[in-house]
Amino acid sequence: MPLRFSFVVIWIYLVARVPAAVPPNSNPPGLEIAFHRTVQPFLETYCVSCHGKETTKADLDLSRYTNVARVTTGFTHWELVLERLEAGDMPSEKAKHFPSDPLRAEVVAWIRAFRQAEATKNAGDPGPVLARRLSNAEYDYTIRDLTGVDIRPTKEFPVDPANQAGFDNSGESLAMSPALFKKYLGAARTVSEHLVLQPAGFAFAPHPAVVDTDRDRYSVQRIIDFYRRQPTDYAEYFLAAWRFKHRAALGRDSASLEAIAVEAKVSPRYLATIWATLNGPEADVGPIATLQARWLALPVAGPTAESTAAARAQCAQLRDFVVGLRDKIIPDVTNLTAPPMQQGSQVFVLWKDRRMAENRRRYDVTALQVEGQPVAQPAAVKTTAPTVAAAGKRPVNPNAATSATYKMALARIRVADPDLTVPADPAERIRYEAEFARFAAVFPDAFYISERARVYADPEKEKSLGGRLLSAGLHSMTGFFRDDAPLSDLILDEPGRRELDRLWREFDYAASVPQRMHISFVWFERTDSRYMTDAEFDPYRPEDKSVTSQEKVRRLAEIYLAKAQKNNASETVQQAIREHFEIAAANILQVERDRIAAEPSHLRALQDFAARAYRRPLTSQERDGLVAFYRESRDTNGLDHEEAMRDCLASVLMSPHFCYRIDLVDPTPRTIPSSAPLAGTQPLSDYALASRLSYFLWSSLPDAELLAHAAAGDLHEPKVIAAQSRRLLTDDRIRNFTTEFGGNWLDFRRFEEINTVDRERFPAFTNELRAAMFAEPLHFLIDLVRADRPVLNLLYADYTFVNPVLAQHYGMPAVTGPPDAWVRVEHADRFARGGLLPMAVFLTANSPGLRTSPVKRGHWVVSRLLGERIPPPPPTVAALPPDESKMGDLTLRDALARHREDKSCASCHARIDSFGLVFEGFGPVGERREKDLGDRPVDTRASFPGGQERTGVTGLREFLHDRRESDFLDNLCRKLAAYALGRTLLPSDDGLIRDMRAKLATNQQRFSALVETIVTSPQFLTKRVSSVSATLPAHARD
Amino acid sequence: MPAINQNSPAALRYQISRRTFLRGTGVVMALPWLESLPVWGAPAAPATPAAPAPYPQRFAAVFMGNGINSQHWWAKGAGAEMELGKTLKPLEPFRTKLNVISGLYNRAATGVGIHPGMTGNLLSGLPLTKGAVLHGGVSMDQILASRLGHETTQPSLILGCEQPITGYHETNFSMAYSSHISWENADSPVPMEVYPSLAFDSLFENRGSRRTQSILDRVKEDAASLNRQVSAADHAKLDEYLNSVREVEKRVDRMRSDQQKAANNARNRGRPMVTMNRPDNGLPEDIREHMRLMCDIVALAFQTDKTRIATLLLCRDLSGLFYPFLGVRKAHHSASHDDQSADYESIARYYVGHLAYLAGRLEAMPEGDGTVLDHTCLMYLSNMWSGTKHDNSKVPLLTVGGFGGTLATGRILDYTDKGDENRKLCSLYLSLMDRAGVSLPRFGDADARLAGI
Repeated sequence: MPLRFSFVVIWIYLVARVPAAVPPNSNPPGLEIAFHRTVQPFLETYCVSCHGKETTKADLDLSRYTNVARVTTGFTHWELVLERLEAGDMPSEKAKHFPSDPLRAEVVAWIRAFRQAEATKNAGDPGPVLARRLSNAEYDYTIRDLTGVDIRPTKEFPVDPANQAGFDNSGESLAMSPALFKKYLGAARTVSEHLVLQPAGFAFAPHPAVVDTDRDRYSVQRIIDFYRRQPTDYAEYFLAAWRFKHRAALGRDSASLEAIAVEAKVSPRYLATIWATLNGPEADVGPIATLQARWLALPVAGPTAESTAAARAQCAQLRDFVVGLRDKIIPDVTNLTAPPMQQGSQVFVLWKDRRMAENRRRYDVTALQVEGQPVAQPAAVKTTAPTVAAAGKRPVNPNAATSATYKMALARIRVADPDLTVPADPAERIRYEAEFARFAAVFPDAFYISERARVYADPEKEKSLGGRLLSAGLHSMTGFFRDDAPLSDLILDEPGRRELDRLWREFDYAASVPQRMHISFVWFERTDSRYMTDAEFDPYRPEDKSVTSQEKVRRLAEIYLAKAQKNNASETVQQAIREHFEIAAANILQVERDRIAAEPSHLRALQDFAARAYRRPLTSQERDGLVAFYRESRDTNGLDHEEAMRDCLASVLMSPHFCYRIDLVDPTPRTIPSSAPLAGTQPLSDYALASRLSYFLWSSLPDAELLAHAAAGDLHEPKVIAAQSRRLLTDDRIRNFTTEFGGNWLDFRRFEEINTVDRERFPAFTNELRAAMFAEPLHFLIDLVRADRPVLNLLYADYTFVNPVLAQHYGMPAVTGPPDAWVRVEHADRFARGGLLPMAVFLTANSPGLRTSPVKRGHWVVSRLLGERIPPPPPTVAALPPDESKMGDLTLRDALARHREDKSCASCHARIDSFGLVFEGFGPVGERREKDLGDRPVDTRASFPGGQERTGVTGLREFLHDRRESDFLDNLCRKLAAYALGRTLLPSDDGLIRDMRAKLATNQQRFSALVETIVTSPQFLTKRVSSVSATLPAHARD
Repeated sequence: MPAINQNSPAALRYQISRRTFLRGTGVVMALPWLESLPVWGAPAAPATPAAPAPYPQRFAAVFMGNGINSQHWWAKGAGAEMELGKTLKPLEPFRTKLNVISGLYNRAATGVGIHPGMTGNLLSGLPLTKGAVLHGGVSMDQILASRLGHETTQPSLILGCEQPITGYHETNFSMAYSSHISWENADSPVPMEVYPSLAFDSLFENRGSRRTQSILDRVKEDAASLNRQVSAADHAKLDEYLNSVREVEKRVDRMRSDQQKAANNARNRGRPMVTMNRPDNGLPEDIREHMRLMCDIVALAFQTDKTRIATLLLCRDLSGLFYPFLGVRKAHHSASHDDQSADYESIARYYVGHLAYLAGRLEAMPEGDGTVLDHTCLMYLSNMWSGTKHDNSKVPLLTVGGFGGTLATGRILDYTDKGDENRKLCSLYLSLMDRAGVSLPRFGDADARLAGI
């Protein structure tokens, strides 16, 4: 070995052993000497003729590096120099002189020694991590967590540029411009349009909620969703009761009725009622007696599934019996009628709605058929039958109603029914009637009414008018009506009742329902109805918002009633009129009062929102400032309360406190344990750490637990931050991390937008398959991270994850279920899958459409997985044919073989092609194949660098395991560290990478080991407050 | 709550103007286009090779519900010699700027039942969905607003004279389709303003840009306070943010200061200015005054370039308006069930009268070599031809104004017998949007322009 080389080796040894002996921020003198003696002459002889001041090929000017200090400032260039020298492709074959191998080795060794010195000198340097705006992905995830709705305001934003490490979460590449700022304004306004004010606080709708119809949509959907979540099927209760009765036989001896209810997902309250009804004092007459008899006849439970199935079927029949009988005894509510009031007047319709609502747990005693007597028909049949007028005379029947009412009555005509027959004896009959009353009280005819067509019209005609959710059953008018008392009274527990009440109150509030109903009322009564066309009604116009004032509602009530009285309206009708206006006035007043009372709660909610958005508690000035801005919006800008709230919200989202990530240092002096503090750095505050950790692992804001640790001031402690990172890794939000880190590291983040595949040649490539391909690595990564599996599974796993369409594409056994049914497939190597390498997404993304591309696929493996930097091809290289089937006798393999013949091509392609040729058994959409598109058999053999011959993906895995595993692990560590720190790595991070590798090795290669090493490192916990290399001598800084 | 900081820049700037408006002193506006060169904004470029319009084009859709009296809705001849039927007589002074276009229809609005199903998609041409969830298509006025609206203070102005009703019609379509013809996307109508005073305020108080300015002021304060806390290195990134705020501020401000400049210019040269008093709070008692005020606001908004796109629903489909001053007892919808009556003819003529009034306001304002009306397209239409038969196999439609020289006028165009493929409303919309410089391959149910327009 040359003397100088061994000198350098000894020096390295010394440096590595005794770091403290080397003064910080200085270079070992040996390094400088060796530079001037060996490296600089080398540059002048072999390099600067092409890479100098006159000729600067590839923009690389090596002539400026005249001392070690300058090399420090340009270390990224020197990394490239090192790679090229090691690869042997520089000096290029066109050079006039070539260095001897030993000399080349000396220079290489020097560069490594230099890097080692750099690494040690500033070990733990947090590096330049500047204030930066949220990336588009971070903005979207943060908005989702802040509002609960995945609004995705950055949909129309330009794509964020990536930094050198390939990630878009860095201040190195994220910038702000006026054009982007305007988009931020638009995004803030969009989010504010989703705001829904409530009696206490506010929420966000999944769609903009400014127009009345959108407010209706939001509020109605919430109530409907609540209804649909409730267990209201009698059959489920009968079955649960049966399970309880036979709990011993079913192996649930000690289970309580309540526990059985919870398991069966039914209401414990109502199950208790059902149980008491079925097992209570024996009824000997009436419907409950019948029910009890049938209940006793249910099969006994056995150990087999068949007995439960039989019981289930019979419980369904029991339910049908109950529902069928119940339907026959529902009380009728005859339409009110009082000309000249119109049949469809809100007065009548809402009156009818109220009566029907009261009847849900009552029954019609006249429906019972007395033995021996003819079946009594509903009174309404007679009273509503239209009378035939005598010639020239007006109809005598004052209650002559519309044909609709008569038709409704006709529909209730009764036939003889044993279930409804009661004895003639009055004393006996009373017992029956009591039983029917009990039956009706336990089994309402409906627990809730979710939709209504016009309640006063011919039901046959109205059958086709479905979808009128929560409608009051009016014609044309805006109107909603709540009818769900049985749900509250029988099924819901106290929290459930409160929630349902709150949903209806919030509906009234958000959509101004009482006001709009009254305005509709006035419109209808003046036009369709013509009741209010007399002059006295002129002050009441639907366009005039003041018509909903308490005074005007009361005065209208008076004259409306007066007119009805003048027209001989019955007492019932008069009462209905009074009721109508009282209720309307009260509901309107309630909303108005709620509005006033809510204002302080909205401002408080706004302050809470801002604190969450800013990811830290607000100062008192900030809290006051928000209120002051609100007042300015009201008083100076003349906005109403809701508009002002939207503007306040938008201002919070436009604030740099929200849309910028600025890591502030801890104001209290403290040091990072376990490492000597680097000059010019300070520990980050706990709140800054909370954000740094959550944006690392969730790409979103910290949750309450993280913020609690920040408040307690212990988040920076290694045990705490490590434990928190483990918690975040298992949280559902880790999917954000796998998408952003995985998607950018492995270059498939925007795969869902690609359209290179020729869908006529590959009809299997639908949007669904594309989405499934995109999701496969994400599912793999989510599983790996949440279950903390060894990271080498990425290469060697024999399992993967598929959904139905991907399973079909891979030729795996069919997966049943919807597109989002993902299953783990073991022994995936049976189908040539397993781990990242053979995933269809990468094979497809790296194919130009009508043929495979071993070059692109190989390049993906060596650059993305192994971290090699391959320079781009020279511009004059000929392109390969785009369509494999049109290549004649020449296979791709043959075409690529030419790469190896030409020396200037071989220098790169020898490092790439083999890694791609092994994938030839997969076609342009990642499908398995025996023949290529030109119908030639595929050949998956490859000669790897260093002379190894391997076949297929299995061969590639063996090769990686043999020779390149360390490179893969190093690359993974470097990528993860760059992503976590939000910057490209420096030589001073070498120590961190070493620590990560070491921790991996002692923790069975688990992913969490990598994360814990990062979050407890000085790089993560501290921040540069002045330039770390400020102590460089002045002449060295250029 | 702490008192508002009276000395904050925003407060000082706007206190005066706000109080002035509250006292109803109205607005005094200079007319930007009085000068022969445009004062601000980039005028929309027309798509046709007609004489290039240096003045912006304005578009207004004016709606009347439930059809017309077909007996008296006719025209003969052309240009200055055009003869107009009784209902169209109010437009006589504008014959040369008028197009009477008959026979157009909206297929998706036919065969779906009466009223809302015929109305909600009048400007969009796509089928409507029944039941609780509204869905249709974006309307052509909103397409124009989204493409051209950023050049004015307000992208578009939607005014109505009746409040929206949102119950269910017997056809199971929501009454929201009867109440709205402007839809900003397939699911949501654009909110409309019914109160003249509120419409006036939001337009002429520059409310939109004032709100933005307030937000910008606030975030600038935030950024400034942050700058004091961060290291020198972080300054550069925050400065990037602050510079962006200032740039956007400048653009928002420019519209207002240009306006001020124009006003000063005009005052200095003794040019006429237009004035309008702020309408009183509350609703006008008389529907005639209500409609007239709405027309005034549209006219003024166009003249002062506050907006270039407007939709004016003079009444709603299934309208409940009364016209005692016409001697008609029935409300609008009832009257339309006897559309051949003299009563209904007088109603229809009354509405055409308002169109003529609006046209007259725009015509009275010189702009360049012509008038504001010459640079405008007022499109007047109804959702039916006959309210009695609920027949919308064709709809009555008029345009007034030359749309900046891109629309030939003084013509009678009848597409009734041209075949269903050649008489689509959406074809007309495609053509009109073309003339405004918005060229789409398809819209609604049409992918071809309207021949002969």
